[in-house]
Formats: sequence, structure tokens, C-alpha cells
Amino acid sequence: MSETATPAKTDQKRAINRLKSMYPLRNVVQQDYIDTLKASNEGKPTVWSMLNYWEGDLPLKAMGLNIVYPENYATLLASSGAAEPFLDASDSDGFPTHMCGYGRSTIGYSYRMMKENGGKIPPDAPLGGMAKPALLLGSGIICDARFKWFQSLARYFDAPEWCLEMPMMATYEGSEPELEDYQVKFLVKELKDFIAFLEKLFKQKMDWAKLEELIDLAVKIHETTYKITELRQAIPGPMHATDFWSSMPPSLFFAGDMKVALKCYQDMLSEVQERVKNKESGINYPERYRLIFAELPPWHSLKFFDKLAEMGWNFVFESFGYHAPKPPDLSKYSDPCEKLARLSRNFMFNVFPEAKADNIQNPIVETYLKIARGFKADGFFMHPLISCRAASCSLRTVQHWEQEKLDIPSLWVEGDIIDKRVFNPQEVLARAEAFEQTMDHYRKVRKSKGLDW
Amino acid sequence: MVTATTKGLSRAHEVYADRGRRMRELRKAGKKIIGYICLYPPIEIITAMGMVPFRIFGDMSEPITAADQVSTTVVCPFLRSIIDLGIKGKFDFLDGAVGAHTCDIGMTTIIAWRDYIKDAPFTHLIDVPHTDHAPAVDYFEGQINFFKKHIEELAGEKLSEDKLKKACELHNKQRKLVRELYDLRKSDPPKLTSMENLEVMVSLFSLPVEEGNELLEEVIKDVKERNIKPGKKKARLMVWGPVFDNTSLYELIESAGADVVVDDTCVGTRAFWADVKAPYNLHALAQRYLVDIKCPRTYRDTQHQETERNYDKDLDSRFNYIKKAVADWHVNGVILQSVKYCDTHGYEVPNLRHYLDTLGIPSIYIEHDYSERSLAPIKTRVEAFVETLD
Repeated sequence: MSETATPAKTDQKRAINRLKSMYPLRNVVQQDYIDTLKASNEGKPTVWSMLNYWEGDLPLKAMGLNIVYPENYATLLASSGAAEPFLDASDSDGFPTHMCGYGRSTIGYSYRMMKENGGKIPPDAPLGGMAKPALLLGSGIICDARFKWFQSLARYFDAPEWCLEMPMMATYEGSEPELEDYQVKFLVKELKDFIAFLEKLFKQKMDWAKLEELIDLAVKIHETTYKITELRQAIPGPMHATDFWSSMPPSLFFAGDMKVALKCYQDMLSEVQERVKNKESGINYPERYRLIFAELPPWHSLKFFDKLAEMGWNFVFESFGYHAPKPPDLSKYSDPCEKLARLSRNFMFNVFPEAKADNIQNPIVETYLKIARGFKADGFFMHPLISCRAASCSLRTVQHWEQEKLDIPSLWVEGDIIDKRVFNPQEVLARAEAFEQTMDHYRKVRKSKGLDW
Repeated sequence: MVTATTKGLSRAHEVYADRGRRMRELRKAGKKIIGYICLYPPIEIITAMGMVPFRIFGDMSEPITAADQVSTTVVCPFLRSIIDLGIKGKFDFLDGAVGAHTCDIGMTTIIAWRDYIKDAPFTHLIDVPHTDHAPAVDYFEGQINFFKKHIEELAGEKLSEDKLKKACELHNKQRKLVRELYDLRKSDPPKLTSMENLEVMVSLFSLPVEEGNELLEEVIKDVKERNIKPGKKKARLMVWGPVFDNTSLYELIESAGADVVVDDTCVGTRAFWADVKAPYNLHALAQRYLVDIKCPRTYRDTQHQETERNYDKDLDSRFNYIKKAVADWHVNGVILQSVKYCDTHGYEVPNLRHYLDTLGIPSIYIEHDYSERSLAPIKTRVEAFVETLD
């Protein structure tokens, strides 16, 4: 394959070769919103939850509670072009404009629901909207300002809030093996308190057998998604990033029926296996460059990736924070809270052995070094977000060390997850053309240094 | 050995102008200097080990240049400034740097320090839980214990109960003296300007605790003896928000015709209002730092386990210390200031303003990027705000 040849179009319909198995997973999420709203109309409570890396999701589901995820809903607002009135409402109620786009969307949604619509769902809310919360489940995991925006929702709702705890990753100190039990002990205490609170709030007992069953299902889902991710290292990359983003909520939030989700992911695994066997690409153009997207996407402009696919850019990996790691062996533990604590904690601490190997202090850097090697990346698409500290703060160091250690260049594109006004696709496309020469150059440099891609 | 030739406020002005000078002297004399970021590393342990805690600040007058290779521009400029100064070698007098997970960017600052700042080879990062739940306090005590063990390795000796007790008493004494100094601003006009006060506070973070206490005693004596002429200004203000370590904002406010008589910032009352309570052990430190410091970075669960939340009750539980300060210092307006991209403070702004409204206290919110030049556009807003106050 020539690096500079104009790519021949192999499919006139779409630039990205979408996985058929992605659509049922996307439907699981959409159906979940519809079912939750229906349940609310029948008088059942709705819980608003943040991404909590499963320690909160599974107890709620085991008690049969309906959950919506405002962060995920904010992505729907953005992708359907409906976000702006909600962002404006947040601004008008005095919240600073530089804060999290997910947070501003949710605050704006709550403001419009409670202050403008008398407690009813705003009429322009996609998918029927989110019903009023009976509980706000906050979390500081991976982004510690998030619990503050749920705390702020007390301006609009009288629902109680619970803030879940998690020891923070990114420290050698925290990853010392002797500290694991101490961290788990802390989480188990917190989880037991949380479950006792749920029982009091919703006046029903925890179904411990159900919780065990859901933990088993969670492990199976993550084993399956982990296998899919491993397969994506193939050349050409069999699954484009947009398929991952469209299909991730049943793995990331356990949205919808988990048995259905597991079956869908197993179908996805089969389809990806088949693609690898047949060397079928995730784009309908010859794969000229293998890109990694860091970190959160511009939800409002996902069609933009079609343009890049037409140039032969295949996004083979993306958004490490949305990927569940290989699940730990939980078979030797009997207490469901301990299983849950270990499953959840595993997300935060699984990267450190490699981090030590590379002598890099930032585990996010090490994660991306490992990914770049495994996926044989030609370049990084860095997407620092005007409204997200957590996903943006390490990108410069990732950029630096990818260049320094692996001679992989980065395209630096400022934007936002929700606010499309700060993203200029035309300008990025112009820069992308020039970036191809940079990727070509460093491909030669890597080979001259003995690297195999 | 103290080499100062000046005393009291002159001494504070001197230390404020060159924070590293005394540290370099002490290091030359064999002392280990341990820098720390934000309020959450328990400095009593550093003092008890015979080392000197030094609060790391940025520099609002120094353009951020070197940090751009390490840090994106959409994160806290105060912490970016620290990284910038570190890369430029401005902390070459430190033997160690201790950070805490006070916020995500605070955490990545110390991580970046390890990769990019060659001074201060000893580093430690303390995980700080998000909540003040009882299991979180226990967990934090474990983190402090881990820090203690690490710094014992650096010192080559164990921390004794007696040394910890003495250090807690010394730092508690400093806190008591600071509260006494703040009391001197209750009069109208206050006996101490906010600029002078900030210079003293910054000095306390730049001196060994014994020298800081000596300085405070001198300043309090001098200020008490001052003969302040009547000359009331239009407003008595409180300033709220995250770190502000430079007198420029206070100069701007006071030049607009107001006295800043009290603050709720981590370079002022937030750092000094809570004591470590006896018995002086690691649990007492965990309680003081995680529960008693009132920083928005902690989810203070005022209605923990309650099945309904009451907004006004929650606000009163979280902010009644501000209500008390407003009454005690006769405050008639509050300026909420924040460095840009500080999310934990940002989410508090509408809620705190609502609370102040219920108290009948006018407020404004101003934002800056931790540079002196970013304050100029704020001046007009501050002047207009002061004009509106009775």
C-alpha cells in the first residue's frame, strides 16, 4: 500500500464500515430510557446516577431500580443537536461557563424541568427525557468535580444524594500491593452503608442472590468486551471508534438488561472475530493510518469521522477511560460487597505494573504507551476539552511521551464534548492533510529505530 | 538560627517578597525543606520529623511558558504556574514535594513533578477521600500513616508520640495567633489592611512554625499599638474562593473604596481556623484535615443517610461558618473570586450566592486566570459593586 496514493473507495454508501452488532447494543440504551420513563409514569422511582465503575450500578439493579445516567443523556443531547438551550439555562442560573459540559447540560435540564416546566420534562428533551430523580447517586471516580454538580442539583430537587467513594489511581503509593486489602476494606464499609441507605430509602431489602448473579454477569460482559478490544489490534483495525462509542453504555453503565447486553456483546465478538479472519476493516477505504483518539469525543460532530475515514484514517482505539479492563478473579471471595469492591477497584489500579516498567509516573501515559504499541498507532488525535479537566489534564504528557518513546506524533485539536461552538471541523480537516506528512515521516523514523510499524 | 534583621510587618513584607530566601538559609544549615501543595498534607508530621514544611505557591507575575509542554491550558492556572516554576528551577531549595488528591489537577501536578521537575527527589502523594463519611476518615488516617512511614524513611528515624504532640501544639498555637490577628480587623476601620494580612499569611507558609509564631506575636503587638485614625470606607467585604497568594486583588478591592476585613480562602482562614484536637494522633490529624477544613473539594455530607434533602438546611449546614464571619466582622458584601477552571469552587457559586441572598448580603462573582494582568478587567466590576453597597 502506498502511503501517499489516493485511496480507492470500496463502498459507496458509508465511509465507516459499521458493525451490524453495534445497532442492537445502541438500541439497548435507547430502550432503557424509554422503559425507565414508562416505569416512572407508573409510579416507580428513577435514580440519576453518574458513571461509577459499577460499584453503584449493580446494587441499584439488584434492587430492581430504574437508572438513568445524565452524563450519557448529555451525549444524546449533543449528538441530536439539542444541547444549546440546556447549556444556556445552566449559564443563566449562575454556573460558570467553563465547567463540565455534562454537568452544565444536566443543570440546565434540571433548571428547565423545575423552574420553567413545573416539574415536567422539557418538551424538547430527546428520547422522552429523564424523569424526576428519587435519588442522586454521585461519584468522584476518575473526575472528582462530578459529585459537586449533583450536590448543586439540590437547587432543583429534594432527592437525597449519595456520593460513592473510590481510592484514587495514578499513584505509586496507592498501588502498593499491601494496600489492596486496606482499600477494599474501605470500599466494603462504604458499600454496606450505601446498601443500608438504599434499603431505608426505597423501603425494600437488597436481593443478595440477584446481586451475586449480576456481578457474575458483569464479569462475563467485561471478559467479552476485553476480548473485543484485544482483537481490535488486528491490521486492518476491524472496529472503528464510533462503533465503540455507540455500543459502550451497556458495558460502562450496565445500561439495560444485562443478559441481553451480554448476548449482544457476544454477537459483537463473533462479528469482530470474523472481520479479523477476513481482514475486513472498520472503514470502507484502505487503512492508510491507524489513529488513537484521546480522550472524549465531540459527541456533537461524530459525522466528522466519516471525512477522516474517507482519507483512510482508521480510529483503531479510543477513550481508555471508557474501557473495562480484564476483570479480576473474584471466585475466592464470598461477600458480594467485596466482589463488587474488587471489580470496581480493578479499573483504577490495573495499569500500574506496566507503568513501573516504563519508568513513567503518570499511569495514563503508560496506558497509552501500551495501547500505542499494541495497536501499532501512526498517530494520536488529541482532543483537549474546554470543559473537562479530568479528560484533558494529562494529554500534553501523553503527547510528549508518545513522541519521545515511540516517535508517534499527535494532532492537537481543541474542542468540547457538548458545546459544538468551540469545534471547527473544516479547520481540523485542513490540518489533518498536513498531519499525514508528519505521520509518514515518523513511520520512517520508527522503522529506522527498529520498531515494526 | 534566625537571621532576620527586621521584625513584625516589615519582616512579613520581606519574607513575602522572597519566599525562598529563608528556606535556602535553613537548607544550607542542614535542614530538610519539604514543599507541599494545597492544604491537605498534614504539616505537623513534617515539623515533627525535624523538617520544614514550605507551602508551594505559583507566581502571578511570571508568564507560564515551560509548563505548556506538560499541561493543557484548560486546567487550573495556579497549578500550571507551580509546574512552570518547578521546571524553571525556582524550587531548587526543596528536598521533597508532597501533594494530595485535593482535586484531579492537584494530583496530576505532583505526578508531573516526578516526571519533569528534577528538584526535590523525595515526593509523596496522599490520597484524600471525597467524602467525610466515617469510613473515609479511617481510610484517610491510613493514608497519613503511609505518608508518615515514607517520611520516616527520608529522615532515618521514627516519629515519636512526643514529637508529634509538640508539633501539633506548635501549629495549633500558630492557628490561635492567626485568629487573634484576624480579630484585629473587626474594628472599623480595621487595624490591619488585607494586603498586610496576606503578607503575614504567606510568610507563615514560608517559615518554620516557631519563626512564624514569633512573627505573629510581633505583628499582633505592633498592630494592637497602632493608632488608627477614623476613616471609614464604604464597604466591609469578605473574599471567598480558592487560593489567592498575591496582594494585587486586595489592592484592587481596597482602592475601590472597600476594606476587606475577612476571607474564606485557603491562604487565610481556611488554613488556620481548625485546630488538631487532642489526643494528638493520626486519627486526630485525619479528622482535622478531612472533616474540619471547609474546602469545597470535600463532599461534606450534611444530610448523610437522610431520605430527603432540604436545600436550605444543607446550605446552612455547609456555610453557617460564613454567616458567623459575616456577623462577627460586620461584613456588608462578599466577593466570590475563583481562578478559572476550578470546578469544585465553580459549582458552589450559585448556591453560596443564594445563601448570602437569604442573609441579605450582596455578592458578586469574579473569575481570573491567576495572572496579574487578568485582574485589570475586574476592577470596574468591583468598583460598581462597592458603589451599590450601603
